[in-house]
Amino acid sequence: MSTIQVEVQGLSKNFFDQARGEVNAVSEVDFVCRSGEIFGLLGANGAGKTTTLRMISTVLQPSDGTARVLGHDVVREPVEVRRNLGFYSASTALYPRLTARETLTLFARVNKYPAESTKDRVEEMIERFGLSEYAGARIEKLSTGMKQKVSIARTVVHDPPVLIFDEPTVGLDVLNALDLQKGIQELRDEGKTILFSTHIMSEAERLCDRIAIIDKGRIRACDGLEGLRAATSHHYLEDIFVHYVTGNDTPA
Amino acid sequence: MNPRTVSALVTNDLRQLARNPRLLVFAVALPLVMWPLMWYLTSLTTERRQERLESRTYLYAVAENPASADGATWLDRALARVGDDGRNGDDGRNGDADPEAGPAVLFERVAPPDDLPAALDDGRLHVHLAWEPVTEDGGAPRAVLTYRADLDASGTAEGYLRRALRSTRVEVREQRLAAAGFEADPADLLPVERIETASEEQTSGLLLGRILTAIIVLMMLTGGSIVATDALAGEKERGTLETLLTTAARRIEIVTAKNLSILSVALITSILNIANIVLWMQLDVIPAPEGLKLVIPVGTGLLLLFLYAPAAVLLSSALLLVSGRSKTYKEAQLLFAPVMLGALAIAAIPVLPGIALRSAIVVVPIANLGVAAREILTGTYDWPLLAAAWTVTAGAAALLARASVRTLSAEKLITASDTDAADLAGGPALFPRRVAGWFAVLWALLLVWQLNSGGGIDGRLLITINLSILGAAAWLMIARYRLPLRETLSLKPPPAAAWLGVLIAAPAGLVLANGVVRLASLAMPIPEEWLEAMADAFGADLPLWQMLFFFAVLPGIFEEIAFRGVLLHGLRARLNPVPLVLIAGIAFGFFHVDLFRIPPTSLLGVFLVIAVLRTGSIYPAMAWHALHNALALSGARIEQIGLTEEPTWWHYALALAAILLAFRLMSRPKVS
Repeated sequence: MSTIQVEVQGLSKNFFDQARGEVNAVSEVDFVCRSGEIFGLLGANGAGKTTTLRMISTVLQPSDGTARVLGHDVVREPVEVRRNLGFYSASTALYPRLTARETLTLFARVNKYPAESTKDRVEEMIERFGLSEYAGARIEKLSTGMKQKVSIARTVVHDPPVLIFDEPTVGLDVLNALDLQKGIQELRDEGKTILFSTHIMSEAERLCDRIAIIDKGRIRACDGLEGLRAATSHHYLEDIFVHYVTGNDTPA
Repeated sequence: MNPRTVSALVTNDLRQLARNPRLLVFAVALPLVMWPLMWYLTSLTTERRQERLESRTYLYAVAENPASADGATWLDRALARVGDDGRNGDDGRNGDADPEAGPAVLFERVAPPDDLPAALDDGRLHVHLAWEPVTEDGGAPRAVLTYRADLDASGTAEGYLRRALRSTRVEVREQRLAAAGFEADPADLLPVERIETASEEQTSGLLLGRILTAIIVLMMLTGGSIVATDALAGEKERGTLETLLTTAARRIEIVTAKNLSILSVALITSILNIANIVLWMQLDVIPAPEGLKLVIPVGTGLLLLFLYAPAAVLLSSALLLVSGRSKTYKEAQLLFAPVMLGALAIAAIPVLPGIALRSAIVVVPIANLGVAAREILTGTYDWPLLAAAWTVTAGAAALLARASVRTLSAEKLITASDTDAADLAGGPALFPRRVAGWFAVLWALLLVWQLNSGGGIDGRLLITINLSILGAAAWLMIARYRLPLRETLSLKPPPAAAWLGVLIAAPAGLVLANGVVRLASLAMPIPEEWLEAMADAFGADLPLWQMLFFFAVLPGIFEEIAFRGVLLHGLRARLNPVPLVLIAGIAFGFFHVDLFRIPPTSLLGVFLVIAVLRTGSIYPAMAWHALHNALALSGARIEQIGLTEEPTWWHYALALAAILLAFRLMSRPKVS
């Protein structure tokens, strides 16, 4: 029986900018994610995906509304939230002068993974992500694909129940991107709750159990692919997306 | 705070640094070589220059005129003693050359040139002498030396010749005195002898104490900035900051770890640098400053270490704050320069003569520890002031550390958005965030003034403080932030009972304020001169109405507008009642930059803040303040209002009860 792991209610975020004034980056967003599912946030650049995920990861403070991870409120219990969370995005880089093994050890310790089992856990991650050969090499010497594997290992090293992947395939070639998607599916199959944001339709189609279409900071639709197809009578996600975002259907 | 997390983060920082060979070479190894090398080269070139100047032949010419015949004998005598000066004693009278002094200086006469400036310019001539005719009977001709100060040889030649002529003149004068019948040796007239009672440790301590703080600050900052730039600005630029911020590490753990990294690198580089210089001094490669003893007793050393600890935390927090506020590595490096200059300026204060810890300097972070260190090293310190200095700097360090924790929570770190609601709205919304800065600048101005005015107060000074500084600043803040006047200054009628409250509170407050003075004097005995200065100020020779106007009415209006109006309004938006009352009250005390007036005026400040908060109006506070000062004046002399009489504990208990009753009377009726 899947349980609700992430709960977002009326979440809003306003930014203030000298040029644009007050900007509603995210407005009254509601959704829940359950264990063992990949929940996709699908939206164009600037739609509010990253801002939403950063609020859930406690890096940004909501202007309004609440978000809870395993029942912990992001404003009141940020440390508990982050302990149960692995956050991966294009902007979460690694320390170039650490080796892969040191990187994993550092993040296991910082995320308060039990001290006595840290060493075993790190070796397990090295084994699992095929890093054995490079575990002693500095991150700066690794290829993009290898760095990305270390990054995912870094995200899950403390065994968090909830994982956030914010546009993880940006800048990756096809093979690396597919590899990463496979890894994410495996994590889902292990029972992790996965929040996944993307602007690539095929990725969302292939990966997500449920999809929330987000535009100008608001959720326009939220359902499984079949449900979205039934509601819009479109087959392709691209058409469904355009339907919700523009309010018009693309000419056949 | 989890020590495991902190140690993991510190290890990470240090590991990053240790694996950056270029940074290690430029920031750690190179200074180790450069410092002593620079020192060595400086002393070497000075030595060489001296040698060169002493061994060369200087060219001089004498103008041909009728007076030169008179001057010729003078010149011969002077030339015979050229170069003796300075090595044969202070008075320059002794003609016996010191055989140890090195080769004699050679002067060679050349023909006077047609074009003097050109000859000086191209070195054909170093100094030109012209004799002006004797003006009075028995007088000597006047010597006029022409030279070029910017040319080494010319400047030196002039110096030798001038000193030689002067000592010749002294000698001749004495001969003439003797010839005129003056029997005693003129040198025996009013002889002055000096006896110095400072021990070697004290002399050396003063020397070391003056420069120690500046050296430590310089080394802490140069060493600390190696890590500090990378600490937040570097993480931001690399993209590792968001990785770190999304982990389970608390912000305080991250800041603590960063501070520890900065401190440990600063400490290691400082120790390396100092040990390095001491080593070269011991090896006599570089000269140690004269009179400086490098041995500090263990106890003193430990005390100094304890003393400097909060200064180190303060500096590392400042560096971290700069790093956190910068968007890029480059910006952080740019911002370090003003921090460095500011800190060095403050650390140089102990060099100034006459500044003792028992003054307003005790409330200036870092500078107070510098003065304290100097006093420790000369053995003239007292514990209460030492504790006060330490506490002030530790408090400032805690505030800065808190600010850097807040920087880590700032969303500007992560997002492109560079403002928030208050920034954008500006005006009144922004004021609560700026008010502390405004008052800090005001306070610094007052402090500088106090340190330069030699203490003491008089009517004029008070008027200037009240009207020009406080009034103008309050007006500026109200205008700049478009603050609503009525609300900012609490210009509302108070409940009628509040006036009765004021009548009770003012005398009771004065008794309690005097109690605080007595309490504080247990720790910091008030010097007699201070009491006399205060009595002079308050007993000034002015008509009573003027006294009341200057010392009671004006402060009652302008200090209230500034402190219970503008300052309180700004702080109110961000503080809970208890910290608000304490901070706004004590800030008022600190503005009476005189050390001994801070405790009682802080208490008065606390009372007046409570009065405004309870009545919702500034008027009772104005009346209370004016009445308080008037009552204090009415004794005319400060000793008569409690310091010479001995109030007992029940006086104070009664006063406290009266104050509580007054506050009760001041409460605003609840609006139902």
